[in-house]
Amino acid sequence: MAGPLVSAAMKAQHAASGPEVAERRGQIVLEDISRVFAADAIAVDRVNLVIHPGEFFTLLGPSGCGKTTLLRMIAGFETPDSGRILVSGREMQAVPAHHRPVNTVFQSYALFPHLSVAENVGFGLRMRRIARAERRTRTRRIMELLQIDAFAGRNPAQLSGGQRQRVALARALVNEPEVVLLDEPLSALDAKLRAELQVELMRMQKRLGMTFIFVTHDQHEALVMSDRIGVMQRGRLLQVGPVLDVYERPSSVFVAEFLGLSNIWPVTPLPGGLIETPLGRLAIGAPDPARGTAMIRPEKIWMYGEGGAPAGRANLLGGIVREAIYMGASTQYRVELENGAPLLVYDTNNQAAERSWRPGEAVTCELKPENIVLIGA
Amino acid sequence: MMGISLGKSTRRSLLAMSLPVYVLLYAPLLLIAIFSFAPPPLARGQTFYWYADLLHSPEVIAAFRRSLTLAIGSSVLGTALGTLMGFGLYRYRDRRARGFASALPSLIIYTPIIMPSLVFGISELIFFSFIHGATGLLGAGLLTMGIAHVTFEAPFVALVVFARLSGLDPNMFEASHDLYADARQSFLHLTVPVIRPAIIGGFLLAFTLSIDDFTISFFTAGPGSTTLPIYIYSAVARKGVSPDINALATLMIATVIGTGLLQYAFTRNRTRKLVARPGD
Amino acid sequence: MSAATASRRGSAARAERFGRAVRLWVTAGPGLAWIVAFLVLPSAILLGIGFFTSGSYGGPELPLTLQPLREVAGYSILGWSSGNITVLARSLIQAMSAGVLTVLFAYPVVFFIVTRPPAARPLLLLFIVLPSWTNQVVRTYAWMELLGPESALSHLVQSLGLLQPHLGLFPGVLAMQIGLTYNYLPYMVVPLYAAAEKLDWALVEAGRDLYASGPRLFWNTVFPQTLPGLLSGIILVVIPAFGDYVVPTLLGGGKSMMIGSLIASQFLETPNWPYGAALTIFMLVFTCAGLLAFRALSKRLGGAEESMM
Repeated sequence: MAGPLVSAAMKAQHAASGPEVAERRGQIVLEDISRVFAADAIAVDRVNLVIHPGEFFTLLGPSGCGKTTLLRMIAGFETPDSGRILVSGREMQAVPAHHRPVNTVFQSYALFPHLSVAENVGFGLRMRRIARAERRTRTRRIMELLQIDAFAGRNPAQLSGGQRQRVALARALVNEPEVVLLDEPLSALDAKLRAELQVELMRMQKRLGMTFIFVTHDQHEALVMSDRIGVMQRGRLLQVGPVLDVYERPSSVFVAEFLGLSNIWPVTPLPGGLIETPLGRLAIGAPDPARGTAMIRPEKIWMYGEGGAPAGRANLLGGIVREAIYMGASTQYRVELENGAPLLVYDTNNQAAERSWRPGEAVTCELKPENIVLIGA
Repeated sequence: MMGISLGKSTRRSLLAMSLPVYVLLYAPLLLIAIFSFAPPPLARGQTFYWYADLLHSPEVIAAFRRSLTLAIGSSVLGTALGTLMGFGLYRYRDRRARGFASALPSLIIYTPIIMPSLVFGISELIFFSFIHGATGLLGAGLLTMGIAHVTFEAPFVALVVFARLSGLDPNMFEASHDLYADARQSFLHLTVPVIRPAIIGGFLLAFTLSIDDFTISFFTAGPGSTTLPIYIYSAVARKGVSPDINALATLMIATVIGTGLLQYAFTRNRTRKLVARPGD
Repeated sequence: MSAATASRRGSAARAERFGRAVRLWVTAGPGLAWIVAFLVLPSAILLGIGFFTSGSYGGPELPLTLQPLREVAGYSILGWSSGNITVLARSLIQAMSAGVLTVLFAYPVVFFIVTRPPAARPLLLLFIVLPSWTNQVVRTYAWMELLGPESALSHLVQSLGLLQPHLGLFPGVLAMQIGLTYNYLPYMVVPLYAAAEKLDWALVEAGRDLYASGPRLFWNTVFPQTLPGLLSGIILVVIPAFGDYVVPTLLGGGKSMMIGSLIASQFLETPNWPYGAALTIFMLVFTCAGLLAFRALSKRLGGAEESMM
């Protein structure tokens, strides 16, 4: 049985490499990773990415964008056609899945139907031939942490979706991996349970300090949970950055639209920090705009009733409310500007009585220059 | 199934039309059973006369032994080969691939299933006689019968195992590797336990197929390898219907029906246990 | 992208595919090799023999010839005879009527079962299938007992004047028909049951307003839904019944041969292997044609193709 011996040898080597390597524990480096299924099917296209130790990183993209393939290559289920993968500073090329210091939570949970919950959770420890006593302690501890100790003796078939999800998570976490890979683990759950588990996952990650790589197609989930996001489309990594950066300063129209509703127009730059848009001439924060596209998020637009607009501000546009969709915490308005251009505006309902508009009312919208984002050519 | 609102008269006529079918299915079997308990005129009162007769026939005892040897031996090998085939095709077949080469394994597996048993049997007869003529090996006997039985059992076992695997989460195998199991550990700790019911079911199916077969056995049998069905066949061909054959046939029928009912009871309890959810 | 990276593209996918293929042949290989060695190859030899000359002991000899195939069509040294055509026609009629009869028996049984409570259904189905688990010789033998000259059934028919005294219902064409129908009935019931269990009764309910009479309701709502099951059933009954060996041998007697018993006699009694092989080719061509025709039909009718592998 070479398995545990090789692992042990690797761990020894790991320890011997000194503090420099220890700093990289839980770090993932992807260098020029590509994966081609067929000549016309490039799943992953030259991805370069560094994920920091202890980070909650989300790969976000529509289905078929290559995010799951990327995750599977880190786990070792698939081999990249080119490029290198380093986990905690170690080259993974020749390391099979069962020797990698990562554990996966599958979208379908992939629990073993012939084993009880406790046996499922302890599977990885058993395969690594960890002594029974330690196995039992660790299994019990993680089950208590995830509040599934009450079902320890049950069969996975007898659990609800949320409980299965917790078992799948416990089964990965109990091994104390350097990196946890989560492949859309919440997609099969209903909205309420999902929100609960999102918070729980985040807490768990911060508490255990492991690197989490989370794959999802749900932009809301990505925004809520992640430290940083990588947005993928057709095998390419379009933009990587902290949640706030990616949301507020998207680098492309695709990223802007995928992360939420927005007002996007093609623009022509004018001298003096101005741009020509279908809405009219607008002032922007950046001094020297390039020709391209501009964007503003609907919630970044201020709206005033008749006569309520502060004087002397830039980018005040008059219009008429055409549609108001009440959504509880906020209301979404479709405003028709004076020149006929449409504008989408969100307003929070913190003072609903005074600050709500009905269709047909005249309003003034303020697009603050610093909130207008130029996306480039 | 919801909303079956057949009229009472329709229900009644369905019952009236089905009952005779059930009766007809069992009438011939029941009839030989009844006849098997009729002793010859000279032995009045001895209900089990023909059964005692069977027990004293070395030919029948030997044929019974051979049938059992053949069925168990061939089912063991057939189950092993079939399980590996079903597992291999499920796990390693390239689902994306198209064309003849990727369809070839399935085509081969289906050959014994769709081949008419007569053609199957005659092919084996000719093949084994050629081999025997050329090398002196594989003379017709239990061995050649066993080879033929394995050939038709293995594909059915493969189908049963494949069907079981298809019903499982395909990520399970990757999950086992993710949890540090190498190929051997994954096979022992995951694959074997999860397909165990299918392996047992496949073995029982192979056994039943072997016991049930006549045509293929008949063409691959040699002079010293008379099994029970062949014994009955040659007795019937020689002297037609006879009471000792009735007794033998009754025993075989009772065994099969008994096994079938037991198997049913066993699987039903198991599924009940699995389906029940104490949680909700 | 440089030329070097371009050449590396897809290489891992290829390597993975190769690894999978190796594993496939390591696991499935032994079984597949077994089937090829002990069935695919032997049956190829058998079919090949159909193109050889019949030797003095009935074995295959050179030169290659089409004589056996012409014999199948009825041409021999003695001129043309209708013998083979008769056997073929008898086999076809027997197989097809077995198909029709099993359908007629199976429909009421299947609908009887699906209208029972769910818990009772598996057992009722099991009782249909159980007799087919007994050995085919035993099953067929049971009917010899029931149809023989001294049986109550034969006495009844004799007393009605439909049969000469001292003659049984067996051997003969009727006995063969009964035997085939009896043996293959479960193979019709099972696929039909599978289709009927998935039946959408809402459609039947909806049809109740449209079609006045029961038969028209059945024909327009129930029948189309059970069609895929019916077609599989027909394939499972007609094709094996066509080439059956045990039933014609035990219940048919010398006068009512079917193609199965005719083929077997070329290898067991009057050895003429090339002729027997030619008959086999003929039978297989017929079988495959039937199979393909039904597959095409069921595809056109939108029946879901069952492919487990």
